[in-house]
Amino acid sequence: MSFAFFQETLLTLLPGVPLTLELAFLSTAIGAVLALALASMRLSGVLPLDLFARAYLFAFRGTPLLVQIFLIYYGLSQFPAVRHSFLWPILREPFWCAIIALSLNTGAYASEVIRGGLLSVPHGQIEAARAAGMSRLLLFRRIVLPLAIRQALPAYGTELILMVKATSLASIITLMEITGRAAKLISDTYRVIEVFLVAGAIYLVINFVLTRLVLALEHWLTPHLRARPEGTVLPTTGTVGERA
Amino acid sequence: MSQTRPAGARVAVRLDDLHKSFGTLEVLKGISLEAREGEVVSILGASGSGKSTMLRCINMLEVPTSGTVTVGEETIRLTRDRRGQARPADRRQVDRVRTRVGMVFQTFNLWSHMTVLENVIEAPIHVQGRPRRECVAEAESLLEKVGIADKRDHYPAHLSGGQQQRAAIARALAQRPEVMLFDEPTSALDPELVGEVLRVMRSLAEEGRTMLVVTHEMGFARDVSSRVVFLHQGLIDAEGAPEALFSGGGSERFQKFIAG
Amino acid sequence: MQQPGFFELMSFGPGGWGQLMLMGAATTLALAVCGFAIGAVFGSLAAFAKISGGRIARIVADVYTTVLRGIPDLLVIYLFYFGGSSVLTAVGHLFGRDGFIGLPGFAAGAMAIGVVSGAQHAEVFRGAYRAVHPGEIEAAVAAGMHRMLRFRRIVAPLVLRHALPGLGNVWQIVLKESALVSVTGVAELLRQAQVGAGSERQPFTFYFAAAVLYLVITSVSSLTFRSAESRANRGVRRA
Repeated sequence: MSFAFFQETLLTLLPGVPLTLELAFLSTAIGAVLALALASMRLSGVLPLDLFARAYLFAFRGTPLLVQIFLIYYGLSQFPAVRHSFLWPILREPFWCAIIALSLNTGAYASEVIRGGLLSVPHGQIEAARAAGMSRLLLFRRIVLPLAIRQALPAYGTELILMVKATSLASIITLMEITGRAAKLISDTYRVIEVFLVAGAIYLVINFVLTRLVLALEHWLTPHLRARPEGTVLPTTGTVGERA
Repeated sequence: MSQTRPAGARVAVRLDDLHKSFGTLEVLKGISLEAREGEVVSILGASGSGKSTMLRCINMLEVPTSGTVTVGEETIRLTRDRRGQARPADRRQVDRVRTRVGMVFQTFNLWSHMTVLENVIEAPIHVQGRPRRECVAEAESLLEKVGIADKRDHYPAHLSGGQQQRAAIARALAQRPEVMLFDEPTSALDPELVGEVLRVMRSLAEEGRTMLVVTHEMGFARDVSSRVVFLHQGLIDAEGAPEALFSGGGSERFQKFIAG
Repeated sequence: MQQPGFFELMSFGPGGWGQLMLMGAATTLALAVCGFAIGAVFGSLAAFAKISGGRIARIVADVYTTVLRGIPDLLVIYLFYFGGSSVLTAVGHLFGRDGFIGLPGFAAGAMAIGVVSGAQHAEVFRGAYRAVHPGEIEAAVAAGMHRMLRFRRIVAPLVLRHALPGLGNVWQIVLKESALVSVTGVAELLRQAQVGAGSERQPFTFYFAAAVLYLVITSVSSLTFRSAESRANRGVRRA
């Protein structure tokens, strides 16, 4: 356990950070769009859409992410139709297969988070918006979505952290993000503990920073949920109004 | 404040034989009502009498099972969906009518992620498409009028109930509505906060605004409104000028109701 | 050359992989059960430390849960698999046994899953404990029950009732985590599918079959937990 080896390990693993972050953020972003679509389908009241969304959730939450990755990366190559299609240059790349699998996966979990957020919007505020003549689209854009996002933010932050951890599975299909590099280093040097400590520390730092960022975002978006500002004086009783 | 308005005033809101059922429960059993411009109509009744439902039919927050609703010159067209449920035929017509009708809710329903000022300018800017500068100026004078100008940058959660309701009134007024609807505006307020809201409503009445108010505040009904309507089990049981009804007129049920 | 169809491949006869896939599924279940059990032990200890432990115990428990929830499970599996082998080899050297002693993949996998899920178990138990109405515990104290009896007859059953939904979630996670143990070569379901895929050159067929089997296992688990929850909640008035 020499300091030099720790340093060496760090220098070997750090170059994997950009790929880890890329995988995590890109798939979270794509997944968020998918999640919004799925949540809308479940809340649409249209039975076929609801059933499709539920089937999707069932499939993607009931099977391991690694199986989903294998299905896309290895599985799709079984079909000549896929191999000869224009999508093949994309689908044969481990990076894009990982992105697709991660996005489809987070889309399923995040859709429940978003659905919870959408359902949490107080019905009274929706009614007030309708009474003011807002169209359904305007109502969604100005009232429902902003409130839903604020409500869903903490749970979505958790999902982001889980995504960062999930990117480690990409190492199994040859991608050299942090865990991929760590695995290679371990099999080359057999210094398991040191590599584990450094790799673990890198992930912990990433997750710590992300957690802080999400908290800051939450704080910025919710001045309306914070404690009463100093100096706010509530009116004391004035004259009592008309009473029956 | 119980003079009747000039008989020649135009009809602001007309309800024709409104029926409304929730499943098998018939809440409105044939309501016909006419409110002219400048009238302040107080709507009284026990819980379950249908008074809130009737009010909410005016801006289609509830869709009547049968009957028609007319706001000013415009009658809201209804149709039936595949399951036979009544629904508005033209959503845009409903949205348009709603901008001409201001509503104040029992639970205020201010948008919690916006400041008071933002709440007040939201509909004028985004629904009515008026220029921002004009909306802000008007909003500030409305907030001044209801007495919470200093709260313009506060969030609803930081206001007392009375302040929130006054902000809600300003928000509804900002739409420049022809008609103001109040659905039990003081029922959710602590007793000591009721007065400030009633004062605002009184000043609106004195300005000559057309108001329909569902309320339990008998004093308001007696002293401020120009007409009182008493609902009982989905039908209008008594109707008339406050002086007449509150001095022993109206129906026996009404007398029992106001006796407590 | 005609490729064998799905049902031929998955059959139980000779040349069919059905039996091997089912055995893989059984191994997956065994892995998950062991991992879950180990995790329950770690988790209860950590929860106990957080609830009523001294300062040091609480800090250790907090570090444990924070770290294990922030690092990828795959890393922990590598740690136990490769690290465990190193430790065993070193221990073997101590006792005069030269050469490499490998830690069996199953043991490494179960321990890794146990350690990782322990952090989640801890949160479930802690939350479940806080959900128990303090009044019910007070009544037990007032009735003169001493600590052990109280725990056995009152606290544990009540905590368990509140913990069931959370435990159901952890179980589903553990089930899916077991697929990661395939990297150690253990013949659980995914690994078995991999072998078949390589041998028959039909990756989609095998991974799809594996997915179906996972779905069956998770569905049955979910139903089981839900019925356990409703049985545990009989006599409880819903808010």
